[in-house]
Amino acid sequence: MTLTQSLKAGLISVLIAGTATQVSQAQVPGVTADTIKIGSFGALTGPGYLYGKLPMNGIEVVFDEVNATGGINGRKLVLVREDDRCDPAAAIGAVKKLISEDKVFAIIGGGCSNATFAARASLDEAKIPMIVMASVHDGITTPLSPTIFSVALTSTLESQAQLEYAISQGAKRIAVISMRDAWGRARYQPLMEAFQKKGIKPVLDEEMSPDANDATAQVLRLKAANADAVLIVLYPKPAAIFLRDAQKLGFKPLAVGQTGIADPAAFEDQVGSPGATAQFRTISMVRYTPEDPAVDKWRKAIESKFSGDRLSVFNLFGIGAAQVMVEALKRAGPDLTREKLVAALNGLTDFKTDVYGAGITCTVTDHRCNKAPTWIAKEPGKPVRVLGVTKVE
Amino acid sequence: MTLLAYLLLSGLTTGALYALIALGIVVVNKATGVINFAHGELFMFSGFFAWMLHVQMGVPYLPALLLAVAFGFMLGVLIDLTAFRPLKNSDVISLVLATIGIAFMLRGTARVLWGGKSDYLPFPPITSPEPVMIGELMVIPQQLLVLAGAIVIMLVFAAFFRLTRAGKMMQATADNAKASTLVGIRVDRIYMLSFGTGAAIAAAAAVLMAPLTLLYPDMGFSFFIKGFAAAVLGGLTSLPGAVVGGVAIGVIEALAGGYLHSSFIEVSAFIVIMFVLIARPTGLFGPSGLRRV
Repeated sequence: MTLTQSLKAGLISVLIAGTATQVSQAQVPGVTADTIKIGSFGALTGPGYLYGKLPMNGIEVVFDEVNATGGINGRKLVLVREDDRCDPAAAIGAVKKLISEDKVFAIIGGGCSNATFAARASLDEAKIPMIVMASVHDGITTPLSPTIFSVALTSTLESQAQLEYAISQGAKRIAVISMRDAWGRARYQPLMEAFQKKGIKPVLDEEMSPDANDATAQVLRLKAANADAVLIVLYPKPAAIFLRDAQKLGFKPLAVGQTGIADPAAFEDQVGSPGATAQFRTISMVRYTPEDPAVDKWRKAIESKFSGDRLSVFNLFGIGAAQVMVEALKRAGPDLTREKLVAALNGLTDFKTDVYGAGITCTVTDHRCNKAPTWIAKEPGKPVRVLGVTKVE
Repeated sequence: MTLLAYLLLSGLTTGALYALIALGIVVVNKATGVINFAHGELFMFSGFFAWMLHVQMGVPYLPALLLAVAFGFMLGVLIDLTAFRPLKNSDVISLVLATIGIAFMLRGTARVLWGGKSDYLPFPPITSPEPVMIGELMVIPQQLLVLAGAIVIMLVFAAFFRLTRAGKMMQATADNAKASTLVGIRVDRIYMLSFGTGAAIAAAAAVLMAPLTLLYPDMGFSFFIKGFAAAVLGGLTSLPGAVVGGVAIGVIEALAGGYLHSSFIEVSAFIVIMFVLIARPTGLFGPSGLRRV
């Protein structure tokens, strides 16, 4: 073969290979030669925006950072947002729109648990890779979905952590106060199973409604039972009423919350009774408070991109989830397919992000990739501080 | 005894608020024959209005309360003008649906205006948040203020209905709208006044309640249900009945929670209402059901 013939053959091969790649990428939804379209759904409006819009802002600043350094294998990341208003029906609609109309390659999303859980069937049907950023409903990851991975904690893991923490603090007479709606039951039942596994019984098992305005009866009963720790499975509103009335009646147990009460500073204002939150501890999905110097870089990024915003823990949820997605996209390589992305996610072992309490590990049989609840507290008049991390198996 | 005293105090405070909400529902129903399903949202919206004045703009509590009551009154008038008056000759279902539509509109507006600031907005108490001892009882001063405020508001409205011309005209219209028209009462204005007065009572209840609870756009419906239950227990058209019904529900909830289990708090009052209505379908203070003609 002459040199000219060799050059011709080489050129043709390159052209064929290039065309083949273009053809194969053209068949991969959301991927072009220079972009990868990632979808996100969650509440952009309404009170649930904390779990939707703010994590999405976090995703956006991670994508900006990646894009500024040339993207992933030459492709820039593009985020497409859909509003589910924390509404299950709207979440199904948002997911279908992302898949069918926006034709995204993968999803980082899921703010409100019930909405994300409702959308699971549509996600499974489309076999679209997804990283859950904030929803904690067990049913999103259990039974295993081949393509849905969660870097949020799950309600079972949180319930286990609540009990572990109370025991680790020396509590001997542990009580429970819970809501019994769908959200509450998703946590209450695993909590009772965790009690059973430890071979202990709660000294008292009380209920509160999400709209309760008084907790005198519950506090008096818990006080009479001499509980030294109360595991709180409540939204911030009833939890605030409970701690206010506990303070009023001189009942000061260790009060152990969960990610439903994710902001101890706001919670202190909601309780509104000085000193009532002194014994209150709660779970954060991330190991840093927004004031921590370790997240300075992200504070600057959020505050410069979204004028008027201040970095919040909810931004950090999105930042962590986006870092996991970016790493998996890199590992999936230039010839991107959804199958390769899923394989890359399944292979993540102890991957360190800038925000989570421990490394992210996903396996083929367990897509609950974050099992490190971080304990946070706020003493009156002081900033929120991190107490430590509980690793749950 | 201390347990009972605590439960009674807690029940009376919560019950007084249920009574205020029930009063607003009864005032409108008595005059117009319509249950205003937007009543809870009027309560919520006025609470947020007071929060804006007091927390965001620094208006002192009492002027904020009075302005919120005036704002509530205007909202009530607006409901009369936009929903009740155009449909007053329609069947009751259409009127009820109109009030439900307004409830959704107000809730949606509140979500846009205030839903995004935080999950639940705190309203600072006007008294010290520190509990105080009264005898053997530890009490939050705001609780006593709410109780006293609720009693004062009930007395003011009782005086309004008994002593003022407008109140007497409202009573007359409620008793017989056609006869009232014949004697020269402008019934349309009375309907408007009734919607306004009902909403003003809801606003007063919201501002009293706000420091003890928290404000959030979806809070209206749960308060409405309790107020409606109190109104039904009292007889739906009886103002004293609304007060008795509200206090009874508050006290029953507290006693059931303290002596039985906290899971009975939400259902206990409704079980009692069910038995009362079986025995007396028109409620405790409602008109006697049947009479010979």
